[in-house]
Amino acid sequence: MQTILRVKNVTKHYGGGSVVTKALDGISLDICEKEFVAVMGASGSGKSSLLNVIATIDRVSSGEILLDGQNLCEMRENELSAFRRDKLGFVFQDYNLLDTLTIGENIVLPLNLQRKSVEETERKLHNVATELGIADQLHKFPNELSGGQRQRAACARAIITSPSLVLADEPTGALDSKNSKLLLKTFQLMNEALGTTILMVTHDAVVGSYASRVLFLKDGKIWSELIRGERTGKQMYNEILSVTAALGGDADVR
Amino acid sequence: MFAKLAIRNVRRQIGNYLIYFITVSLTVALMFAVNNALFNQQVLAIANAMSEFQAGLIAITVLVSLIVAFVLGYATSFMLKLRKREFGTYLILGMTRRNILRIFILETCFLMFAALGTGIVLGLGVSQGLTAIIANLMETEFSFGSYSLKGCLLTVGLVTGLFLLSSGTSALYLSRVRIYNLLHVHKKSDKQIKYPLLWLILAAISLAGIVCACILFAHTIGDMSDNAGFILFITLVLLAVSIVLFHVSIAKSVVNLLLKSNRIKNHGTNAFTLRRLSAQMNANALLAGALSFLLSFAVIGANVSFTQQQSNRERLDREYPFDIRAEYAADTTHPISFDEAETLINTYVSVKNRLDYNIYTNGSSYLHGFTPWSGEGYELLKDSFISQSDFNRLYGSIGIGSVDTKNGFFIAYDRDRVENCDFSSAVLRSGEETFPFHGYIPNCPNIGQRFFLAIVPDRFVAGLPVLDYGIAFRLDDKRYNANALRTDLSYTVQAGQYTIERCDFNIREYHRLQFNASNAVFVVSALYIATVFVFLAMAILALKTLSGISDDKKHYDVLFRLGANKQEQNNTLFKQIFFFFFLPFALPILLSIPTGIICRKILAFSGFAQTALRIPIVTTVIALIITAVYALYFTATYLIAKRNVIKP
Repeated sequence: MQTILRVKNVTKHYGGGSVVTKALDGISLDICEKEFVAVMGASGSGKSSLLNVIATIDRVSSGEILLDGQNLCEMRENELSAFRRDKLGFVFQDYNLLDTLTIGENIVLPLNLQRKSVEETERKLHNVATELGIADQLHKFPNELSGGQRQRAACARAIITSPSLVLADEPTGALDSKNSKLLLKTFQLMNEALGTTILMVTHDAVVGSYASRVLFLKDGKIWSELIRGERTGKQMYNEILSVTAALGGDADVR
Repeated sequence: MFAKLAIRNVRRQIGNYLIYFITVSLTVALMFAVNNALFNQQVLAIANAMSEFQAGLIAITVLVSLIVAFVLGYATSFMLKLRKREFGTYLILGMTRRNILRIFILETCFLMFAALGTGIVLGLGVSQGLTAIIANLMETEFSFGSYSLKGCLLTVGLVTGLFLLSSGTSALYLSRVRIYNLLHVHKKSDKQIKYPLLWLILAAISLAGIVCACILFAHTIGDMSDNAGFILFITLVLLAVSIVLFHVSIAKSVVNLLLKSNRIKNHGTNAFTLRRLSAQMNANALLAGALSFLLSFAVIGANVSFTQQQSNRERLDREYPFDIRAEYAADTTHPISFDEAETLINTYVSVKNRLDYNIYTNGSSYLHGFTPWSGEGYELLKDSFISQSDFNRLYGSIGIGSVDTKNGFFIAYDRDRVENCDFSSAVLRSGEETFPFHGYIPNCPNIGQRFFLAIVPDRFVAGLPVLDYGIAFRLDDKRYNANALRTDLSYTVQAGQYTIERCDFNIREYHRLQFNASNAVFVVSALYIATVFVFLAMAILALKTLSGISDDKKHYDVLFRLGANKQEQNNTLFKQIFFFFFLPFALPILLSIPTGIICRKILAFSGFAQTALRIPIVTTVIALIITAVYALYFTATYLIAKRNVIKP
């Protein structure tokens, strides 16, 4: 499969002078098309920093990040905006839906920013909303929906532009176990049926067990990697727990 | 520790406090200037009629203080609500309510002293400007004057009182509110407006109401019938109601209708902007109407005050064309003879010319029969005559051309309604001789307490009894103490249990000072209220906008993540703030046009056609000044919001 994302020897430092915090310490990784990768690790291991630099909302201190062959570190601010708009999709822990917009308006906002035609926008909205089972919620406002429905709407917004990569930051963090499961099914659907490439940061071993590959971070470095292969969900879950225990144990067990 | 925390809080909240601070400082500066004028010796010395001036300004100061109190109370409670969660957290951490109250009051005190200090410093300059305006309105020399301690103390007292009042209300809230309510700020969700089309129809109806009010007002001014006052009152009520209703219905219709169009909505950040505007406008529809009303009042008040000023100047020339003039009824005695009066006048200013004249009557009401002032109720009105030579001497001295009666007579008048009377068949008789009507002398100023005066050949009045003895003085062209002269020319009469002071002499300089004093009261009051209203309206809009900064920050962060570049975010924020500011501002500025037209019509109707031509300039200048204040507040609000909301 074709490599979509290439992270080469990326470091990220915070602070200056004598007080420097190394969030990422020479990380390198590749993510291929249609992969579903989870990043796990203890608090402060560098998960969010990694997601932020890939999401282009933060700059690396050194190293390179290439998405679809484009080096993100050499792009200017306006190019990065266009890049985020066209190549990336986001799913956040707290949904980040705009509470003044209806669900439908939230979902099509990235298409509006791309100046797509009304017809194309309507068609894509209909398709994605039907796929994710929220077609009858489009005229409601976010605060009229449950957490699970809101997160599905966030997923729809993330994939409506058919981005190269969807970044998910603790997507189940604000959901109960039932809705978490439903969301992960949605992620699987996005990955398997729609061919979306997903990079997800999570604390939760159950959530991680849905991924095809799990990267474990410790002190800003990749400490271990787990590939699903032929493992069942249960086996994957157990493996994650074992690695997490060896790592120092910071995984949520539900 | 609390003082330190309060100082830090003020520094941290500087963005929100800035608009509040600017508004309070400017309002304090204006209050200081007006209060200083109230007690300024230089201003007090300008005219004796200053008691009227002072009373007018005190009334205005009280009114403005009430409005400022309301806005300060609103702004303080707004600051409090903005920080509910912060105060809730303090309580959770174990602070007592007394501690929090102390922090909040300390913060308010810092702000009050800073705004008071800045306002007074600004007020020192504004005060001189105001004195210069008053001196100009009163046509006296302006010199930089000293400041009044009383005025300064009154300002400090008023502002402190207003702050204490607003802080007291907030303190009362803080002492009673439950921690849960502080921590859980329930956000109101944006409700879909169900019938935007109906609201649009209502907007059209209210716009029609505004247009109707303007037309009716202009029409009523031209036709001063008996119930004109009532119609004008109804017109103003219609205008006020229509303005408020128009803004409420526009706020609930236009944006929501635009949201129904997918073509408009699904373009760039339009949906985002329209939804934000919809939420803001729905929540503040009534406020927008009220602010628009205040701004309209400011526009109309400023225009009318200048029209009044221009009109008064013209009135002086029309009603008091002679430096001093008096008419004594022939059948009554008067305590001050014309000779005594001349002697008295000469002690103040030299008399250049004395013009004696007589008004005659033949005891008939024949000429009144050609006018509406005849028949029942008008039996006592008798025709009045002036000889051609007296008329030409008297009115020739003020530039009204000489009249040649040519064996006929002319009708002189200064009321338009005489023009509609047809004297063409009127013929006066004296013995065997007849004197037909030859024409009118229109706009003949100050013909006494008469509807008209007949100018007849000298031989016509020979033998007629004198009705009034008249005198007019032309004086040296220099300033003199007209108030003192009037007092000297006055006498007292007993009317029942009351003693009344009377003066039979019309002293132009005295009335000029009177007009100037009333002009100054009217213009300064209108400008003062207009300025304060504009500042306060803009401040409320700015505070409302800035109160949403924390929400905006989150929303624009989502836009940033979704790929909206900086320019798109800036444009979106600009549109969002601009249209929110624009809504209550647009109509009042547009109202400048009908206001200018009506003011022009008032002046033209009063016979001041030349002065009426200046009105469009005055109207434009007022609109430009208000627009400049608007631009100042809008720019400050936009820049503060941009700095806080858009990622650098």
